[in-house]
Amino acid sequence: MDDRRRRFEAQALPHMDAAYSLARWLSRSPADADDIVQDAMLRAFRGFDGFQGGDAKAWLLTIVRNCWRSAGSATRRRGHTPIEDENLAAEGASPEEAAIEASARRRLDAMIAQLPEEFREVLILREMEDMSYREIAEITGTPIGTVMSRLARARALFRQTAKDCI
Amino acid sequence: MSCDESLRTQSYLDGELQGLAAADAERHLQTCAACQALAADAADVSDLLRKATRHRAPAVLRMRVQTQLDRETARRPARNFWFGAASGAGVSALAAGFALLLLLPPSVATLAQSVTDAHARALINGSTIMVASSNHHTVKPWLAAHAGISPPVTDFAAEGFTLTGGRADEVAGSRAAVMVYRHGNHQIDLFAWPDRGAPLPVAGMAHGFRSHFWKSGDLDFAAVSDVDAQAFEKFVDLARAQRE
Repeated sequence: MDDRRRRFEAQALPHMDAAYSLARWLSRSPADADDIVQDAMLRAFRGFDGFQGGDAKAWLLTIVRNCWRSAGSATRRRGHTPIEDENLAAEGASPEEAAIEASARRRLDAMIAQLPEEFREVLILREMEDMSYREIAEITGTPIGTVMSRLARARALFRQTAKDCI
Repeated sequence: MSCDESLRTQSYLDGELQGLAAADAERHLQTCAACQALAADAADVSDLLRKATRHRAPAVLRMRVQTQLDRETARRPARNFWFGAASGAGVSALAAGFALLLLLPPSVATLAQSVTDAHARALINGSTIMVASSNHHTVKPWLAAHAGISPPVTDFAAEGFTLTGGRADEVAGSRAAVMVYRHGNHQIDLFAWPDRGAPLPVAGMAHGFRSHFWKSGDLDFAAVSDVDAQAFEKFVDLARAQRE
């Protein structure tokens, strides 16, 4: 295996779960997330020579977000498939406690999915992917000040929605 | 209720401030009710988001990406799928390890690697099923004839795991019978091969696949799949409980 491929696999592939998670939360559809990540990994590999070190995860997530953006207009028009997808629906009869937990999780997932895009992405990047303000600013192509105010509004909105429905 | 310092407080809570700036923000937080409320809300939001679904890249997507990278590097696919999946630094160490293991009777590591490999190989090649039948009266004799092993074959459709067929495969150099099940969009392979007294790994998770091993009678068993933990455990319980 050539050296470039090896370096790519060592640095970028470990972040595939994060890439998928971001694509999934942004697109809100398993099928779209698959396509976005596949596209992103290919673009990342082709552009790997331009990656000058630094945080590979933030670099990869930037590409994922761009792929979602460029694939996005069609997807967004289509609206989103509800988050309660085949996985959750197909688990079949589960013990009662697990079912309650699963339904609480579904409600949460739906709440996240319903947040406006610009709030959803900062919240996911900060809370799930543990990105710093500077990294979020780079990934989303927004000034840090905007990241901070969006994050504040996203949290307030999410907190309020949670109070209303849980 | 809000405070002009709320963005600074948020930065402090997010670990963005250091040194004096952090100390200032901390001092402010101790006396400002609005910022304390903000801190409590932010903690609630974090707790809630932790309980949301953690999406993981499906195994099939990982394979597709590998295939794509293979095409992109314009070379033949790596000798073994997991050589491709393994990270760069680990590859030579892994290769050395496997070379050593091949000389020994199947060890715990070989077995774990072997069933996961067989499962992945079958998924990639699309050769997961050689006899397509949900009828255990069809699958069982087919396996006996083609794999030389006659494990119990049960359809757990009522419990959510539908028997979709079987195939003959190989686990660490032994012929193995594989019962193939479907659960939602996921496939579960149940391997069975003659017990040669080798110690078995218990359970594990590698490259997105869960595996679980056990002995029953004169056979060793392994279940491998990318279903979620709960469904996997349920399947293992069912499979372990079945009798001839």
